Amino acid sequence: MATAELVLGLLHNGPAHGYDVKRGHDAWFPDSRPLAFGQVYTTLSRLERDNLVEVVDRGSEGGPERTVYGLTEQGRAHLADWLAEPIQPALGAVDEMVRKVVATIHTGEDATAFLARQRASHLRRIRELRAASTDSDDDTPARLARDFVAVHLDADLRWLDGALDRITELKETRR
Amino acid sequence: MTDLALELLRVEYAYRRDVALRGVSLKVRPGEVVAITGPSGCGKSTLLHCAAGILRPQAGTVQLAGQNLADLSEAVRTRLRRTQAGVVLQFGQLVPDLTLIDNVALPLLLEGHDRAGARRAAMEWLDRVGVGEDATAVPGELSGGQNQRAAVARALVTGPAIVFADEPTGSLDSLAGEQMMELLLASVHNGGAALVLVTHDNLVAAYADREVRLRDGAVQHEVALS
Repeated sequence: MATAELVLGLLHNGPAHGYDVKRGHDAWFPDSRPLAFGQVYTTLSRLERDNLVEVVDRGSEGGPERTVYGLTEQGRAHLADWLAEPIQPALGAVDEMVRKVVATIHTGEDATAFLARQRASHLRRIRELRAASTDSDDDTPARLARDFVAVHLDADLRWLDGALDRITELKETRR
Repeated sequence: MTDLALELLRVEYAYRRDVALRGVSLKVRPGEVVAITGPSGCGKSTLLHCAAGILRPQAGTVQLAGQNLADLSEAVRTRLRRTQAGVVLQFGQLVPDLTLIDNVALPLLLEGHDRAGARRAAMEWLDRVGVGEDATAVPGELSGGQNQRAAVARALVTGPAIVFADEPTGSLDSLAGEQMMELLLASVHNGGAALVLVTHDNLVAAYADREVRLRDGAVQHEVALS
């Protein structure tokens, strides 16, 4: 997880304090796990230590102290490099879904009912994502983040379809 | 009478050598969106064609808007199909020599509506689906997406109880497909119709309230999605 770089990205348009960084992150990725406050502050401290961000204000405005952070030149360059670099396609991550199916087959149980339930669960999730998208039609970045989740769910669904076909065929030939 | 938009009971259909449907039953409530999915060759399109009265099953019954298709004369069945069932196919299947407005007015003219009234209703639907400006163009002058929008207008112009769509986004890219599905759902919802959607695309199936998955001409499973 490139939380550090995302925090740099959230500071790109101007200095902000930790609370704004957290809120900004959660608005950018409405379907992801919210960023924990603790993580925001540890990340900001680490970025400050590495000279990627700097404290620009410690105003309290009558309330508790709020440290405002801004990007350093080095931080800006680091962010630009991160944004330009393609990611390594991930391989070998075995999902819990796959583990369940493989374990079901090895234990001699029928996996088709599980596969059908999992299919429905994935389709429902796509529906939920869409329902959320129509609320904010012009919010292109949020929609793109949701589309990303939807096409990955679609890839899972294709795997589920293939698994369902294979297991059904296997059952039919053994009959 | 039944309050279902569509009811199939143990429908069987075989082409010359291949059995396509092996006793499929399906109920669709008014306003419901049902996706028929499954691998290619599983009988999805045959099911849709039997349900829409385009193919006559060799066994079992099809009730469309409360009427058993087998009990009706050819003329009455055609009329019921024309007024109660809208059909949207993969490539729109508009009449190539007719303008969009005449294509959409056609089902009404065949029902004996006067020409001016039919054209007025057609124009309203073309406006609703966003191709009102292209009303006087022929299908060959327009994109697949524009033709598909007109096909949706044609399917809904008679105020059918149910719309059948066979791979309605199959000829469109992903963004146009998404817009097409949103339009189809809004139009069907707007007209109070049910929708039976045949698709191999999971992202399209996810628009449905219920998924019925076929395999080898039989229902493999059925799940509620809403």
